[in-house]
Amino acid sequence: MPVPVLKQGNVLIASIQSALTDRDLLQLKDELAEKVGQFRSRGVVIDVTALDVMDSFATRTLRSLAATTKLRGAETVVVGIQPDVAIALVELGLTLDGVATALDLEEGLEALRAAVSVHRDGG
Amino acid sequence: MPDTQSNASPSTQFGPEDLERRLSFGNIGPDDRACIEEIKDTVLDNLEEHIDAFFTHLSRHVEAQGLLRRPDIMEEARRLESEHIVAMVGGSYGQGYFEQRKRLGELYNRAQLDVALFMGAFHTQMSSIGGRIMQRYPTDSAEAFRHMIAFKKVAFFDLGILVDAMMTAREQTIRRQQEAIRELSTPALQVRERLLILPIIGLLDSFRAKQLTDGLLQAIRSHRAKVVVMDLTGVATVDSKVANHLIQTVAAARLMGATVIVTGLGAEVAQSLVTLGVDLSRLNTVGDLQGGIEEAERVLGPASPRGDRHPVSIG
Repeated sequence: MPVPVLKQGNVLIASIQSALTDRDLLQLKDELAEKVGQFRSRGVVIDVTALDVMDSFATRTLRSLAATTKLRGAETVVVGIQPDVAIALVELGLTLDGVATALDLEEGLEALRAAVSVHRDGG
Repeated sequence: MPDTQSNASPSTQFGPEDLERRLSFGNIGPDDRACIEEIKDTVLDNLEEHIDAFFTHLSRHVEAQGLLRRPDIMEEARRLESEHIVAMVGGSYGQGYFEQRKRLGELYNRAQLDVALFMGAFHTQMSSIGGRIMQRYPTDSAEAFRHMIAFKKVAFFDLGILVDAMMTAREQTIRRQQEAIRELSTPALQVRERLLILPIIGLLDSFRAKQLTDGLLQAIRSHRAKVVVMDLTGVATVDSKVANHLIQTVAAARLMGATVIVTGLGAEVAQSLVTLGVDLSRLNTVGDLQGGIEEAERVLGPASPRGDRHPVSIG
């Protein structure tokens, strides 16, 4: 099932609704990389609240997604990782280094606002 | 806590089915009951003597002082021992018999009586009773032996229940204590909005470390915490396994969008961690709890909406 991507101001929100196949993930990565440029977005929030399993492919894809959007000028925040998923990930050594995380969508948007505004101040 | 022992074997449940099983294990037949009936008076005539045999054996061992020095427990123990012997030759081995044995086992457990010492005392008591049985059949040793064996069957049946009762009571005590320690061990305290303090006191083992991780992650979600100060002042030793677990906890908390600040690593703990070669570079450590809270305030505070240890500090 493809992931719907919503545009909210200068932020793109990808809300994952159900377990994803590898193909869905790759498609999400391509789509976001494309849309970040198209909409001149400054931030991307990926909501994984609905996921109760994340594997190494998913985390690797998320990391490369974050790096890609970064190159295209948008910060990526992964939100809503469940406690059990978090424990499983660190036990597998998949700590999503380099990817920002936040508790939930609200927190993620807040964090992006802070990060982006700082960028503006800096620029 | 009856439902915490879901993995206990049914033999320690002391229900009617268990009683039936035990009776069939013990193999006490009608012949045996007849024999017991026959020697009943012999045993009961010297009841005090048999009880004394039990407690005299105990009094010779310092390990039994916990029981012997407590007059209240002693009184009950003597009374129950007396009922015990009366019931052994009573011929009726039903639920009441069972309950009485269980009570006695629990009492001895409460008095912290060593099981091996109890067995010794029990045997002394059996010898005392056996002596009287032998006296009853001075010329017919075969007959004396037959009666003794019948009595012994009951005694072994009895011993099985008593020891199980003692063990079960002991396990329950241990479980209760573990539960209490567990509940005490990892409170997550909210100091201000978005800030949790996790004081860890005492020995950290892998089990507790895992529980700590689970508890912390749940607390992060329910309190919507952004910063957690994990205070290890009360932890005397940390081994490499636990240190790795702490690192995992910190990583898992970050995945949920929270920063963990570790405080109160003592000099010895710090040295041993460095000696062990545990990679703590990813831990955000501050000297003491006060410093940790100050650091947390800095991360959270409006004056610095984006501290350099902020969870969403990017680039």
